[in-house]
Amino acid sequence: MPEPVKRTARAVAFEAEALAAIDSLYRTALRLTRDPADAEDLVQDTYLKAFRAADRFEPGTNLRAWLFTILHNTARNRARDRARESVAIDSEAVDRAVEAPPPGLRDAAETPESILLRDTMDPELQAAVDALPEAFREAVWLRDVEEFTYAEIAQMLEIPIGTVMSRISRGRRMLFDALNHVKLQEA
Amino acid sequence: MSNCKKLEPFVTPYVDGELDAARRSEVDAHLCQCPPCDSRVAAERAVRHLIQARKVALERICAPRELRARCSQARSAAVADPHATGTLKRRAALARWRLPLRSFALAATLVLIVGGAFVHELTDGSSRVMCAELVVDHLKCFGIINPVIGTNDRPEVVEGSIASLGWHPRLPERPEQAGLSLLGARLCLYGKGRVAHIMYLHNGHPMSVFMLPKTAKPEEVLDVMGHEAAIWSAGGRTFVLITREPRREVEQTVSYVQAALR
Repeated sequence: MPEPVKRTARAVAFEAEALAAIDSLYRTALRLTRDPADAEDLVQDTYLKAFRAADRFEPGTNLRAWLFTILHNTARNRARDRARESVAIDSEAVDRAVEAPPPGLRDAAETPESILLRDTMDPELQAAVDALPEAFREAVWLRDVEEFTYAEIAQMLEIPIGTVMSRISRGRRMLFDALNHVKLQEA
Repeated sequence: MSNCKKLEPFVTPYVDGELDAARRSEVDAHLCQCPPCDSRVAAERAVRHLIQARKVALERICAPRELRARCSQARSAAVADPHATGTLKRRAALARWRLPLRSFALAATLVLIVGGAFVHELTDGSSRVMCAELVVDHLKCFGIINPVIGTNDRPEVVEGSIASLGWHPRLPERPEQAGLSLLGARLCLYGKGRVAHIMYLHNGHPMSVFMLPKTAKPEEVLDVMGHEAAIWSAGGRTFVLITREPRREVEQTVSYVQAALR
């Protein structure tokens, strides 16, 4: 029978703070795996790894970002192990892609912002986010919802910082087009 | 306009307020005289603000309570066993052992090769041909078909699920004693609905036990398509155990199953 482990105050605080992120981690896991059972496994594995590596975490740095990095790492490894057919995004090709300019303002009195805020229903927004290609969806979510820095996101997704910014840009504009397209259809 | 191209890398940090004052003024200056870029920046900003405004709705989904409890336990598991690669007990661990698609590609190739052999009764030909067919079934079922069953099903429940076999296979009652967890049973793809395919995980590795009625075959262990296939007969039935595990594991498990069904 192993001896009961004495837990320092710091260890207790670390665990509590780590577990506080579980909802955010689960939401991201769900987006990455598209399956609740897989998402739970992914989150559980993430915590197991995190607690095993607890002494490698530098106090004072962003614990949430650290956990998200482990989660994304684990998800990538699993996807590789399963030899899934996933479409890999070629970052440079994405950046080179020719884009159509966004629609200009139709009514000078309204801003795109006011139109979207007024007219977009929550389920519509959620659906539009879910419909984005994974690379862009992750970048936008990690920035605008989870509020990580570009550097943190770069580490999580294992891409250069410039790519993080261009994916956020592209993702946001794709969302804008998607949401406006719906409005134009409804009009 | 070449300036618009130059603006590209700065749009997102501009919208996010991450640019220093000097750079921000440059961008402002460009936007004043470039309506298309101005629209584009406005669109990006609008989406960012919309997402931030609706964060509560977007964060509606929460982790299930049981997951939270299991993750709390993860800390104790990590402390107790810091270097193990084992994982905690999971719900329906179906995806973990799903074989990579390349195994199925191999199986598909072999289906083409041994296609002609499917015509005869499964046990009429050589044991090796029979085992090749069963290995293909093993690979197909673990690799592709996602059995909608949980882990650790009770044997009597599983036996009920293959009632159309026309005969009654007995399964070992306490498979966990030998490190086996029963996933379920199905009718073997070959053998014309008469052969039972019992699917197990043995210490986490896929293992199939096929049961064929009214036959007898000499006892042997063959190496077929990268798998071990152990054949034996008892009580008028032939059993074939198929796995990728080493022979030692195979022999131990065979002994267990033989004893359990005596």
